[in-house]
Amino acid sequence: MNSISPSAAQYIGGVMQDELVESRRQQPMERQSSFGLRLPQVPDSSREAPGEPDEMDKLKAKLMSAWNNVKYGWTVKSKTSFNKISPVTVMGHSFLLNSEDEVERFRLAFVSRIWLTYRREFPQLEGSTWTTDCGWGCMLRSGQMLLAQGLLVHLLPKDWVWPDAQQLTDVDFELFRPRSPVRAGGVPIPSFGSPRGSNTPEKSLPSDQVPKSSPRKRPECVRDRQAEPIHCKLLTWFGDHPLAPFGVHQLVEIGKSSGKKAGDWYGPSIVAHILRKAVAKSSVIQNLAVYVAQDCTVYKKDVVRLCDESLSNASSDLSSQIWKSVIILVPVRLGGEALNPSYIECVKNILKLECCIGIIGGKPKHSLFFIGFQDEQLLYLDPHYCQPVVDVTQVNFSLESFHCSSPKKMPFSRMDPSCTIGFYAKNKKDFESLCSAVSVALSSSKEKYPIFTFVEGQGQDYRLEGHGSNHSGSAAHILPPGKLGKSNDRRNSDEFVFL
Amino acid sequence: MLNQLCVLPHNMPSFDKTQHKPFKQRKSFATRKQEVAGIRSKFPNKIPVIIERYEREKYLPPLDKTKFLVPHELTVTQFVTIIRNRMALLPTQAFYLLVDRSGLASMSLTMAQVYKDHQDEDGFLYMTYASQEMFGH
Repeated sequence: MNSISPSAAQYIGGVMQDELVESRRQQPMERQSSFGLRLPQVPDSSREAPGEPDEMDKLKAKLMSAWNNVKYGWTVKSKTSFNKISPVTVMGHSFLLNSEDEVERFRLAFVSRIWLTYRREFPQLEGSTWTTDCGWGCMLRSGQMLLAQGLLVHLLPKDWVWPDAQQLTDVDFELFRPRSPVRAGGVPIPSFGSPRGSNTPEKSLPSDQVPKSSPRKRPECVRDRQAEPIHCKLLTWFGDHPLAPFGVHQLVEIGKSSGKKAGDWYGPSIVAHILRKAVAKSSVIQNLAVYVAQDCTVYKKDVVRLCDESLSNASSDLSSQIWKSVIILVPVRLGGEALNPSYIECVKNILKLECCIGIIGGKPKHSLFFIGFQDEQLLYLDPHYCQPVVDVTQVNFSLESFHCSSPKKMPFSRMDPSCTIGFYAKNKKDFESLCSAVSVALSSSKEKYPIFTFVEGQGQDYRLEGHGSNHSGSAAHILPPGKLGKSNDRRNSDEFVFL
Repeated sequence: MLNQLCVLPHNMPSFDKTQHKPFKQRKSFATRKQEVAGIRSKFPNKIPVIIERYEREKYLPPLDKTKFLVPHELTVTQFVTIIRNRMALLPTQAFYLLVDRSGLASMSLTMAQVYKDHQDEDGFLYMTYASQEMFGH
């Protein structure tokens, strides 16, 4: 079922933290295939002690794991509180958490999203010594999550949920709280280790409060179970090995043409273009295109040209209805230093749309994948959790580390203004309704002008002819910081430029 | 309008080392107002625009000029294209024009519309350009 060549199966990795030590024994095999020296990028990769792992090693590995998670943002975990008064929105679906049924639906909607995090001990990234993306690759991971969400909607049945979705951890629902007007929130329980924690009952809600995933069968259950092979296949495309079409290796490789390399920090706009190129290049997805808006404008004719295959295959006699599905990515900047608060309402309205597949952005310097909100807080999936690599070329690899069971929230006010908004349209009709639905959401901005606009024609009609391709070619995509910060001759700069 | 572009210098002039202060801090309100009055009387069909780099911008180069006289009917898209070309940016490179330092300028508007909505008390239209932040921690 895997699209990946079996030769990649030599790359190994532990699935669970407990297997970390076991996986170390196999590392020499991995090293044969890589060249050059492995630099100790993460503290635990410097541990090279040969011999049989003992309990001490296991303990050390666990401590290192905990340290990495503290270091990269998973600090002492506190519970995320959800009230029962305001609906919580997840990928265009809203849930009012005032009943067990709704909490259950929220759980399925949240946990079914694909979660991609930092990984360590993956095959070396070509042209570098990196075997982990811990500490630099979070924006690439957020981008992967956005693409994964697009692919879920593209390939799986409508409103598919993962039948094996874990119970939620580190959450506090007002619904299940004993009536006590004084205590506003749950007492945070410091806990280290796996946020998945399906095997750590002490972190879960007391058993009498846990919304039981009762055998109350959803009618879609059978359908969703049957879709499992597609779900697994989709995850293999994001595997951390060079052959995975949307894996970190491939994305870093594509990013090189934009002047980026392994270990660099990435931005939401660059990642949008990397995803576009990755999808165009891959052979696993034929009937999907990615469009990236430039200058906050979606040129509808350019999208049509990308999607309408009857236009490009003029010779083809099947000219009637060949229409690619499309992921539309809109990189924006919603303010200077901080998020312009006038845009918050608009961002909420976008997240409420079913055609929205999430927003890649974050807090300053710290990328997150925004998938919804409740009140004044964004709901997100956090890539800052360093997990050991999972060998997705193995049959029946564990899916657990690709789904998150602890929802997190942060205030809109802390959102970095730089982000990329994602949408998906299955067909032409979907695209038309996307344009009108998104336009309505965009008009809700309190700012005078919308965040971005849809325009009927094609981009080149609106720019200036003869100047579109007027690039000197010598300009690097990203200018080295050393060349910046200089200013010009004051005398010259004081003259007006006539346009 | 487009022909006039050709006479613009394509090479950036030499830069000195110091980043100078924002235009508003370099000149008093009275001077700025006078400057606008002077140029508007000479060129009533042009809009005086100040375009400056976001002070924390790390990726986009500084512009060789800050003061532009722009025709009313020029769209924001066209204006952005001119600025992008002056900087020799690739189409895929992120570039945003913020009005009043916080709001995105809508691309389909004409400069006259933006000027009407956002001109400063001194008579200039102030715009800031920025790319996107990078994330990594």
